[in-house]
Amino acid sequence: MSALTAATEASVPKAAAAHLRIRQLGKRFGSNTVLRDLALSVEQGEFVSLLGPSGCGKTTLLRLIAGLMLPDTGTITIGDRDLTRTPPHKRNVGVVFQNYALFPHLTVAENVGFGLRNRKMAAAERKRRVAEALELVRMQEFAERSVTVLSGGQQQRIAVARAIVVEPAILLLDEPFSALDRKLRETMQIELRHILRNLGITSIFVTHDQDEALVMSDRIAVMNQGQIEHFGPPGDIYTNPKSLFVLEFVGQSTRLPGKVLQTITGRVEVETPLGHIRAPGSYLPGSRVVVAARPEAITLGEGPAGEFNTIKATLTDIVYLGAKTQLHFHGAAQDEAIQVDVARLPIGGLAPGAELSLRWRIADTMLFPAP
Amino acid sequence: MPVLARLFAGLMLFLVLVFLLAPIAIVIPISFSPSTVFSFPPTGFSLRWYENIRNADGIIKALWLSTQIAALSTAVSLVLGTLCAIAIVRGAIPGARLVSTFMISPLMIPGLVLGIAFLHAAREVGLRDGYIPLLLAHVVVTMPFIMRTVLASLALFDFTMVDAARMLGCAYPAALWRVLVPNILPGFVSGALFAFIVSFDNYPVSIFLVDVHTKTLPIQLLNQLEMSPDPTLAAVATVMIVLTILALFACDRLVGLRRMAAV
Repeated sequence: MSALTAATEASVPKAAAAHLRIRQLGKRFGSNTVLRDLALSVEQGEFVSLLGPSGCGKTTLLRLIAGLMLPDTGTITIGDRDLTRTPPHKRNVGVVFQNYALFPHLTVAENVGFGLRNRKMAAAERKRRVAEALELVRMQEFAERSVTVLSGGQQQRIAVARAIVVEPAILLLDEPFSALDRKLRETMQIELRHILRNLGITSIFVTHDQDEALVMSDRIAVMNQGQIEHFGPPGDIYTNPKSLFVLEFVGQSTRLPGKVLQTITGRVEVETPLGHIRAPGSYLPGSRVVVAARPEAITLGEGPAGEFNTIKATLTDIVYLGAKTQLHFHGAAQDEAIQVDVARLPIGGLAPGAELSLRWRIADTMLFPAP
Repeated sequence: MPVLARLFAGLMLFLVLVFLLAPIAIVIPISFSPSTVFSFPPTGFSLRWYENIRNADGIIKALWLSTQIAALSTAVSLVLGTLCAIAIVRGAIPGARLVSTFMISPLMIPGLVLGIAFLHAAREVGLRDGYIPLLLAHVVVTMPFIMRTVLASLALFDFTMVDAARMLGCAYPAALWRVLVPNILPGFVSGALFAFIVSFDNYPVSIFLVDVHTKTLPIQLLNQLEMSPDPTLAAVATVMIVLTILALFACDRLVGLRRMAAV
């Protein structure tokens, strides 16, 4: 423990300065532009997720930071070192690969000690550091085993220990949970977050799983088509998405297309198929927009008109999910899908086919330009 | 399984083994025979033909040459073949399949044709001594065996491991050496073993390229057979059999025959 924790304490004073800085990064494969003019600043000790659908460029970005690929344009600096053209073995960047990429011809301890051997560390010191790292991931009894007999979760722990034992400046994680079953995945997410926070390692985590990103991250960079659409804390991403893409990609929502009627004192009134809906914002009359609300922001019943939007909708489906129940509605034209999450069904229950009033706060209404 | 079928299967197995092994095994008693002609069963026991290996004209020299050519051509094929196989599997080069078929094609060309071709090619570029053309020809002959096993091993190898080694401080060549090589070692060993044996007993290509001073073992043995057909040849053959068995044992200890057979 001591060496790893000591390293953390030593690096604390540097905090608050941008640790990883990426500027104007571009990468193309033939005619396919994978990253376009991408910028990202990550602070010392921060845990950042790169979240996006497959093909959005997040894995390419990770490989560029690792040095396993070179960018066409732009720079990557870590601390005050410009690493844009530095080969991967001189970057001091750790990677936990999606399939872990453990070395099957070596034991657990030899896997973890692999990077230390490359640093010409004395055998005794190496052994001590390997033991510490294995203890950190609670795998010390497995030191002399072959990695081929380990379970998926155990392999992941070894992959993490192997990456952090060399005290990398940055740790990159490429969808490390995708091979684990759901229960184990949730346990490992919490545990890994705990380990990495304690060590204070700046970590960048690639995932296409929004729940994973929300659980793990200090900040999330939502990527789409080679650019970062929104970079912010999980709460900000969820409640205040910067674009329709971010809204649709993170969490669920009800979205209604419409036309702006008027803007009065920072409040827009939009004509939608379900009636007039008000949202905070400012648009020219006639603009095509999309209004949206999160499922848990919507409640059953009417509310005071000054504060709430209220619509009428027909209940089509009730989906019981344990902790919450999803109610699916549609509007009069049958084509608007409205989703409401309630903790409990009202007393007396609900029956599909019922026409109900739904309300949500004007302040909770999101507004985007139509695509 | 019915008893009769089981018996029949056992009998077939026995017959196949006899068919395959008897001609090889019969050489061993002959080599210990005191008679000056090939005679079976042997009339006594003698080591005179083993003694005679040293005296017989040029056999030791040919043995040494064949060993050199086989070892060198195997080594060259291993390095070049592995690099080529990596390019084929990983490089996303245009026509990768074409290249791999080309590298394996010597297997499909009769040795005679290759031999004549090499003879002419060597003459054209002015290589008149036997050694270098012989070595080059053997590299071509052994290459398919290396390529086949190494390609098969690489197809199963996860190259993310090489990336992992690089991230842990290995330069690219060191990463290949420390991660790729140990993991495809069975492929290397079985490919090298085949390649060595193929080179060692190659006759049809070598016959065009040898000269008076450079004769490989198979050619020297055939000469010997024409000049003085005595059991010295059987003694040499027995030595070869023993060496082959020892090599197989060594490989088994090194990587395991089971793993070698898998590639």
